[in-house]
Amino acid sequence: MSTLTKILIVLLTLSSIFLCGIVVTYVGSADDFKQKNTSLTNKFNAAEENAKKANKALEENKTLIQQQKKEIDDQIAALKASSEELQSKLGNVEREKSALLAEVEKWTTITRDFYQTTEKQGQLLKDTLDELNKLQAEQVKTQKELKETTASLMEKMAIIDTLETDKKRLVEQKTELQSKLDQLLQPGGKAAAEGTAVTPKKDTAQPTAGAGVVREINLKGKLTAVDLKNSMASISLSSADGVKEGMKFYVTRGSEFICDVLISDVSGKEAVGFIELVQQQPKVGDTVSTNL
Amino acid sequence: MSPNGQPKAAAAATSNLYTVILALAFAVVLVTVVFVAYKCYFQYELIFRMP
Repeated sequence: MSTLTKILIVLLTLSSIFLCGIVVTYVGSADDFKQKNTSLTNKFNAAEENAKKANKALEENKTLIQQQKKEIDDQIAALKASSEELQSKLGNVEREKSALLAEVEKWTTITRDFYQTTEKQGQLLKDTLDELNKLQAEQVKTQKELKETTASLMEKMAIIDTLETDKKRLVEQKTELQSKLDQLLQPGGKAAAEGTAVTPKKDTAQPTAGAGVVREINLKGKLTAVDLKNSMASISLSSADGVKEGMKFYVTRGSEFICDVLISDVSGKEAVGFIELVQQQPKVGDTVSTNL
Repeated sequence: MSPNGQPKAAAAATSNLYTVILALAFAVVLVTVVFVAYKCYFQYELIFRMP
């Protein structure tokens, strides 16, 4: 075998191995086009089915959309009509609002004036209350003084009663002594001279004419009603008995002085007056009289 | 018989190495052909034809 033949054998072998390797590599790594074709065909069929479904759904949606569009158009027309009506109502409401705002402004002014007036009246009331408190304090003070004066008056009246009793007793003793003296001096034809008092006689205070008239009337009656809340009382005497407005009656219970009643109103059946100088609580049935 | 009238001697390989190499090349080509045929048959169900 020649050398050339040997070389050719080796080259043939190497080239065969090389080419076969290339072919095997290519065939081994080649894609399976049949499988690819089947897969793509299936995908294509599925896509066609989906396209059909999508077209069907599209048609249905178109129909539905047309119906909805029609309904929406109807609603839009109705809403437009409603909007026009509401706008007209809005105009009316705005006019009413303007009128109400004007009225609110008016009432605000009135309320402001009312508040100012109220504040002024409150201030005036406060001042009046202060003055009333002062007057009440003065009234309490005056009532206290009046009670003290009434107590002193009652005490002095009691003293006067005692003195009158003593005076009466002394006059009786004087008369008795005068009669005894006359009896003693009568046999001698003498008469007792008129005694002269050591203490000069003083002018006594005389009551006023009205009071004297009242004392002269000397009326007596009963309390028929008492209203302590308003310090009012009514008596059983009336104008028929000679009672007149301004007359003062003394209310007594037994020998106790209760209060005075200053007559303010007289009718044909009874007389009504204010209760004054209250020493005890007057009751219906207490005696009233012009003189103690 | 040779042209000279002498009997021709039987051909004998001078070396078995090149025979082995040739056998190897043949085997490689054969295996490649079988592999390609297998792939064609199982992928396209055809052998050496266009589908």
